[in-house]
Amino acid sequence: MPGKKARRFWPWNFRAISCLFGLAMVQYALGGGRRSISNGSWMRLGLTIGEMFKNGEIIECSKLPGLSLGQSRICELYKDHMTAVSSGAHQTLLECRHQLQDRRWNCSVLDDVTVFGPVTQIASRETAFVHALAAAGVSHAVSRACRDGQLQSCGCSRMGRPKDLRKDWVWGGCGDNLEYGYKFTQGFVDVRERERKYKRGSKEQGRSLMNLHNNEAGRRAVIKKSRVTCKCHGVSGSCSLITCWQQLANFREVGDYLRDKYDGATEVRVNKRGKLQIRDARFRLPTANDLLYLEDSPNYCLRNLSVGSLGTQGRTCNRTSQDLDGCNLLCCGRGYNTMRTVLKERCHCKFKWCCEVQCKTCIKAVEMHTCK
Amino acid sequence: MPGTILENLSGRKLSVLVSILLVFQITCFLIGGLVAPSPAGSQDVIARVCVDRNPEDKDFKKWFIPKTCTAVDLEQQQSTKVLNASNLVLAFQMPLFNYDFSRWQQNLVGVLQIDMVQRKGHKLEPVIELTLDARLAYRNKHDPDDKWTYHTHAEEKRIMDCSVDEVHDIEKDGYPYVCSSVPLFELGSLHHDFYLLNLRLPVDNNKNIHVGHISDIHLHIIYMNGGFTKVWLSLKSFFFPLILGIIIWFWRRVHILTRTPALLEYMLLALGITLAFLDLPIELLTLYFDMPYMLLLSDIRQGIFYGMLLSFWLIFAGEHMLIQDSGERSSLKMYWKHLSAVIIGCFSLLIFDLCERGVQLRNPFYSIWVTPIGTNLALSFIILAGISASMYFIFLCYMIWKVFKNISIKRAVLPSMSSARRLHYEGIIYRFNFLMLATVICAAATIISFILNQVAEGQNKWDENMDIDMSSALYTGIFGMWNVYICAMLMLYAPSHKQWPVESVCGESGEEVEFSRLPTDPSPNEISSLTSFASKASID
Repeated sequence: MPGKKARRFWPWNFRAISCLFGLAMVQYALGGGRRSISNGSWMRLGLTIGEMFKNGEIIECSKLPGLSLGQSRICELYKDHMTAVSSGAHQTLLECRHQLQDRRWNCSVLDDVTVFGPVTQIASRETAFVHALAAAGVSHAVSRACRDGQLQSCGCSRMGRPKDLRKDWVWGGCGDNLEYGYKFTQGFVDVRERERKYKRGSKEQGRSLMNLHNNEAGRRAVIKKSRVTCKCHGVSGSCSLITCWQQLANFREVGDYLRDKYDGATEVRVNKRGKLQIRDARFRLPTANDLLYLEDSPNYCLRNLSVGSLGTQGRTCNRTSQDLDGCNLLCCGRGYNTMRTVLKERCHCKFKWCCEVQCKTCIKAVEMHTCK
Repeated sequence: MPGTILENLSGRKLSVLVSILLVFQITCFLIGGLVAPSPAGSQDVIARVCVDRNPEDKDFKKWFIPKTCTAVDLEQQQSTKVLNASNLVLAFQMPLFNYDFSRWQQNLVGVLQIDMVQRKGHKLEPVIELTLDARLAYRNKHDPDDKWTYHTHAEEKRIMDCSVDEVHDIEKDGYPYVCSSVPLFELGSLHHDFYLLNLRLPVDNNKNIHVGHISDIHLHIIYMNGGFTKVWLSLKSFFFPLILGIIIWFWRRVHILTRTPALLEYMLLALGITLAFLDLPIELLTLYFDMPYMLLLSDIRQGIFYGMLLSFWLIFAGEHMLIQDSGERSSLKMYWKHLSAVIIGCFSLLIFDLCERGVQLRNPFYSIWVTPIGTNLALSFIILAGISASMYFIFLCYMIWKVFKNISIKRAVLPSMSSARRLHYEGIIYRFNFLMLATVICAAATIISFILNQVAEGQNKWDENMDIDMSSALYTGIFGMWNVYICAMLMLYAPSHKQWPVESVCGESGEEVEFSRLPTDPSPNEISSLTSFASKASID
């Protein structure tokens, strides 16, 4: 079934946008000189939100942290998009922390330009998740920014075309903004992987293919989770005319979807022809919506900064759970300490538009367990 | 006695005419599918939350523009800490992306969607009553940027239904509530270039108390696509003179006869005129004048046309039944029982439409569906219309069944007739069945296209066949179909100049086939030979 969906997915009629984004942007980005790939991550933008931006416009693309050469060129082209990119990165980080809060690696962020530290250098399941979530975050944020009226180039106007085409057929063949977000992200995120040529079948090439696949899966998650809403507006309000639109999903839903994909990610290897191949033939072939990884995850139980693991010592766990957040699994068998505390919690909340929350305080006596 | 053209037309000529009409029909369909964009488009505008520092000042000249106002982020609690509901104005500017509305886009529908998120320890009511203070302003292209002119203002109530995915799990945080979107406004004319909506959610007097934590407020605006309107109006402008010409030709033919026109001829004339009225491209005037009543007018025009068409079918079936018992001339009075269903149905729909769209002329934010009384009123009118529609169809089906039964009775007698006479009768029956078939096909096509439209639009939009626009093809196709159908009716049922071809066909054999010589033929004014044939059958 997902395979069928994937086939239906491609022949969109936004070849115009696709050309302008997919080709022009990448070619433009690649056209410039050669510079080694920066080690940093553009996700850094999500941590520096607000610092780099003045009145919604960024000051200088080259000063943005973590951008690769191609990305900073795209930034020059679409300066107004960078606020959205940065808020997309920001929501990605928040969502990552939420989704993995009870895993051994809980999306811990280091305060440097690599954002996640060496963890994402390993082609593991976690890296796959982070890449997919980041692509989804940007795609989501750009689509949203379109609806906000922040971006001039989305909507019906075909990117950078002359103005007279804008009125072409008075907004007839307008694409959806989801398409736009998808296409922009495809240019912006994937350009990193296209900046260098790798030897066919090499480990680096496999890594690049894996990233591209996971980015795609992330972008598709945004579209997959969007809902269609319709409104009848025909004669006397009857349904003789009906118009539908895609409703952007809440990012939490996208995150949930991707975490499911993270749990069911498929291990692959790169073959001599430079294609990804499933490692264990007994498993079902992954679709474009599924996540792929090449290497096993490192041991996150112990603190090992060379692989970026902070260890699970001191993490709170759930004593009764048999799941991953249970003390048994989370503490990796080292046992846990129990502490009795009184928690004050907000409960029976009432919202008052806009900004007032009236809650009662409930007092609960709880046992807190932390890993040894 | 002269019959209609249908009966006197040779098979070859008839097939030529039918194929010409079919070509028209297919052209209409293709124009819709290949040339026109989809009938309507939409944009999703997210509100910018502006801060009103002096909420006491209730001046209607004070407008909040998304680009220039001081905005706050609802997600960030620090920025909204000192503010209360009266300080916040949700500003929407339409359309997005530096576009401006074109008058070809005809009308604008606004649908509000409020995204609410679950917060720990909060439970949402399943039905939320919203109170919206909405103000609408407009600006034209050559006005200065901040010159917004007041359009309307209203405080309206709306009902929003919400469902939570996991009802019992109030520990969840950050998940969206699934809430229905609420219709906000309907502008009958899109006369200006830009519109600005300033929305407030007042909280005094227990208004909006059940609203949860709002993350975003969207306004979905739906407009006719300008390209579609152009194609649509060109079709209308093409058909209007055509149908007018055919009406004039038809009525001249009827007029030069010595007899007074028959009821069916009056009905055909009336049907032609209502179609011409429907085809009249008065929408072109909206390009120059502000005509907010255009939506209402087009509803009424369509209503009159369909009402007339339904009445025509009834009378058409009735005239070919065998109720010439007294031999008196048939008139509309005889059909009052049959027609009352159509009239009641049309009137209840008209009243409903006047209640909703009529009031919207003054207040575009008005909706009849909000108050319980209004809902009951609207529902009762719609149910009344539905009942009369089903009554009508039961009646019509019964009458058609009777006509067919009579024809088949006559058919059984056919083999006993002489060959020339039989051939003629068979021809007439065949052509009548043919037209009946055309009617059934047209009606079925309309219903199927209606259903297809719902299905096609309801599906996920990422589809392969985006290049061909199905919904506008169906739209123009159905419109063309009824035009072609009525043109065919007018042409085929016009009185023929030809004498009854008794001389040419059966003259040599000397048989008596002329209807006028049939001893029991009651009235010389019959419109067609089949009616006389049928009435003869009843006497037999």
